[in-house]
Amino acid sequence: MKTRKPIALVEVKEFLFKKLLLLSGLTAIALLVGLFFTLLFKSSLSIHKTGFSFLYQSTWDPVKEVFGAFPFLLGTMITSLLALIISIPFSFGLSIFLGEYLKEGIGRSILNGTLDLLAGIPSIIYGFWGLFVLVPVIRNFESSIGVTAHGVGILSSSIVLALMIIPYSASISREVISLVPSDLKEAALSLGATPFEVIIKVILPYAKSGIFAGVLMSFGRAISETMAVTMLIGNSNKIPTSVFSPANTLASVLANEFAEASEAVYLSSLIELALILFFVTAIFSFLGRLIIKKWMVAQ
Amino acid sequence: MKENKSILDLQNFNLHINEHHILKDIDISFYRKKVTAIMGPSGCGKSTLIRSMNRLNDLIPGVKFGGQMHLYKKNLLEMNPILVRRKVGMVFQRPNPFPTMSIYDNVLAGYYLNGIKLSKQEKEQIVMDSLQKAALWDEVKDNLHRKGTFLSGGQQQRLCIARALAMNPKILLLDEPTSALDPKATAKIEELIIELKTKVTIIMVTHNIGQASRISDLTAFLYLGELIEYDRTETIFTNQKHTRTEEYLTRKFG
Amino acid sequence: MIKAQTLQSRLIQDAFFKMAMGVLSSLLMLPLIFILFYIFSHGISAFSWEFFTQLPKPVGEMGGGVSNAIIGSLLLILISALVAIPLGVFIGVYLSESRQGRIPEITRLCIDTLQGIPSIVMGIIAYTWIVMPLGSFSVLSGGIALALMMLPIVTKSTEETLKLIPDSLKEAAFALGAPYHTTILKVILPSGKSGIISGILLGIARVSGETAPLLFTAFGNPFMSVNIFKSANSLPLLIFNYATSPYQDWQRLAWGASLLLVLFVLSLSILAKVVVKK
Repeated sequence: MKTRKPIALVEVKEFLFKKLLLLSGLTAIALLVGLFFTLLFKSSLSIHKTGFSFLYQSTWDPVKEVFGAFPFLLGTMITSLLALIISIPFSFGLSIFLGEYLKEGIGRSILNGTLDLLAGIPSIIYGFWGLFVLVPVIRNFESSIGVTAHGVGILSSSIVLALMIIPYSASISREVISLVPSDLKEAALSLGATPFEVIIKVILPYAKSGIFAGVLMSFGRAISETMAVTMLIGNSNKIPTSVFSPANTLASVLANEFAEASEAVYLSSLIELALILFFVTAIFSFLGRLIIKKWMVAQ
Repeated sequence: MKENKSILDLQNFNLHINEHHILKDIDISFYRKKVTAIMGPSGCGKSTLIRSMNRLNDLIPGVKFGGQMHLYKKNLLEMNPILVRRKVGMVFQRPNPFPTMSIYDNVLAGYYLNGIKLSKQEKEQIVMDSLQKAALWDEVKDNLHRKGTFLSGGQQQRLCIARALAMNPKILLLDEPTSALDPKATAKIEELIIELKTKVTIIMVTHNIGQASRISDLTAFLYLGELIEYDRTETIFTNQKHTRTEEYLTRKFG
Repeated sequence: MIKAQTLQSRLIQDAFFKMAMGVLSSLLMLPLIFILFYIFSHGISAFSWEFFTQLPKPVGEMGGGVSNAIIGSLLLILISALVAIPLGVFIGVYLSESRQGRIPEITRLCIDTLQGIPSIVMGIIAYTWIVMPLGSFSVLSGGIALALMMLPIVTKSTEETLKLIPDSLKEAAFALGAPYHTTILKVILPSGKSGIISGILLGIARVSGETAPLLFTAFGNPFMSVNIFKSANSLPLLIFNYATSPYQDWQRLAWGASLLLVLFVLSLSILAKVVVKK
C-alpha cells in the first residue's frame, strides 16, 4: 500500500478549495456590479448632457443629436402590455387546465410538449415566421378596416411576443397553483363544491398574489425580448398613435442602431437606453420574486 | 468496572451548539474489542456524543467543544478531523452507499476518496476481506460490479459496514444502525456486530433497549446531556444504581 | 337570500368552464404547428450537400451554403461553454453548500438578476468589455456575451440538483476521512451528474438560438473564419441578415438555417429531458 498523502497538503487543498468556491460566488457578484457600472459609466456622457429630459423628450434624432427616449419607453410599454393581455387568457387557461382538470393522459403530455417546444424555439425564428406569415395577415386585416396597412407594427409584435411569453407565464402560474395545499382543495370538494367552485373560491383567492407576481415577471420577460420585436415592430422613432403603428422598443432600437452609432453622444445615449432596460427588467423580476417569496412564507 | 485496556477515553468533554449546552462533563472510557451501547431518551445527546468521536459534529455551524478525548495517547480533539475519521469508522441510521459507485467501488471508497493508490491485488483482497467480515460476500460476490443501490436495505447497511471496515478502523461507530431496517435484517446486523467485536471495538447508539441487552457488553445511559450511569450491560439491566436509568428501562420494557 | 343554484346548473357551469380552459389550452397548438410546419416545409428544400459545405454566394449567384455560419455557431457555443460551465457549476456548488449567510444570499440575488437581463444588454456589455479594448468585432466577444447568458442557467440547475442530494452521502464520505474537496468533486458532483448535464444542455440550447448578443460582437461576415479574434458568422445572425434581405435565394438559405437551428435547439432540449429521466 502506498503511503497516504501528508495531512498538511490535504489541509491546504481543502482550504484552497473552499476559497475557490467563495471566489466563484464573489465573481457572480462582481459580474453584476461590473455590468451595472459599465452601463452607468458609459452612459454618463448622455446623462450629463440630456439629464431627465431623456425620459420625457419625444424626439430621437441622432443626426441633430437630440435624444429623447420617450417614444421607446411608450413603445415598450404598449407592446409588452398588449402582449401580456393577449397571453393571460391562454397562460391562465393552461395552468388551470393542466393543474386542476387534465392530470394525466396523452392530452397532458401533448400540451406539456407544446409548451416546451414553444419555449424552445429561438426568438429569431419567431421573428422570421412573423415577418413572412403573420405580417401579411395583419396587413390584409388593416386594409380591410381602413387603417394604413403597414403590416409590421405594435400589433404584430405583440401577438408574437404573447406567443413567446405564454410558456413562461404558464409555468410560473402552474407552479404557484401547485403550491396551494391539497387538503384545502379536498376540504372544499368534500363540502360538495364542483371543481369550478374550488378554483374560483379556493385556489384563486389563495394564489392571487403568487399569480400577480407571475404576471409581473412575464411583463419583465416581454420587455427584454429583442429579436422578434426588432423584426416585426417596423422601427419607427415616432410616438405610436395606435396599436397598428410602427414603433420601436428599448430593445429593438438598440438592436437597430447600436452597430451604426459612431458619435460618442449617440453611443452614450444608446447605452443609457440599455441602462434603463436593465433597470426596468431587474425591478420587475426582483419584485416578482420578492412577492412570491413573501407569499410562500406567509402561507 | 475494571475491564481490560481502554482504547478511547473522554475526560471532561463538553459540547455547545451556539448557546445550547448539549453534552455536559462527559467522562467515559471505551474498552478494546467490546461492544458498548449508548442509550437514552431522544434528545439526550447520544447521537451528538457518538458523532463527536469521529469529529462529524465539526460540520455543524456554531459548534464548540472542550475537554479531552484520547485514542490511545492521541487527543482526537486536537487532531485534524480527516485523520480522526480514518481511524474511527462510522455507520449511519439509514444505509448510504454511494449511488454512483458499484459494490466493489463502494468498499474501496475510503481509499479512493483519500487518494490512496492500490494495486489490483490489494483491491481484490480488501474487497473480499471486508465483505466477508460484513457477512455480505456470499450474497454479492457475483455482482460486485453492479451499483450498490439495487441491494436490499439490510444488505446496503452491511455494505456500509464493509466500507467502514475496509479502512481498518480502530473503532467502529454505529449510529442506530438498524432503525431503518426490518426485523429480519436487524437480526442479521446484530449477529454481525457480535461477530465483529473480536476484530474491532464497537460503540453504538441505540434506542432499542432489547438490542442493547442482546449485543452489548457495556451500556452507558445518557440523560439531558449528562452521563448518568455506565456499567456492564448486565449490571445496568438488573441492578442499576440510578432511578433515572430504572425509569427509562422499565417504561420502555413495560 | 338569492335562490341557491341547482346542482344541475352548477355541474353545467363546471363542465362549461372546463371546456373553455381546454379550448384555450389546445388553441396554443395551432401556432406551434403553423410555425414548425412552415419552417420545415420551407427549410427542407434548402437542405443539400452544398448547403452544409459551401459558403454563401454573393447576390445574383444561385446556390451557396451556410458552412461558415455552422462553424461560427459551434465556435461561439464552445467558447461560451468553456467559460460558463466551470464557473456556473462552481457557483452552483457554492450556493448549495452555503445555504445561509450574507454573501451567498447576495450571490443568489445577482444570479437571479443576471438571468433576467435582456440578451441585447449582454451584447452591449461584451461590446464595451471586449470589442472596444481589442478594437475589433470578434468571436471571443460573442462567446463571452453568450457565456453571460448561459452562466445563470448552469448555476441554477447545479444548485437545484445538488440541494436534492441527501446530506447522508456527504456524511458517509466525511466519515471515511475524505477531505472536503474530494467529497464535493468525487461524491457530490457525480451524484448530481445527470441534473447538472441537463442544465448545461438547456443552457447551450438557450444560447445557440440567441441573436441579439451577437449583433455587435461576433457581428457576422460572409466568409469562413475560425480566428476567435475576428468577426464570424453564426446561424442566428445569418437568419437575421438574410431573412430581412430582399433576395429570394438568401431567404431560402435563411429558411434552411432556421430549420437547422430549430432541429439543433429542440434536440438539445429533448436530450436534456432524457438525461434527467435516467
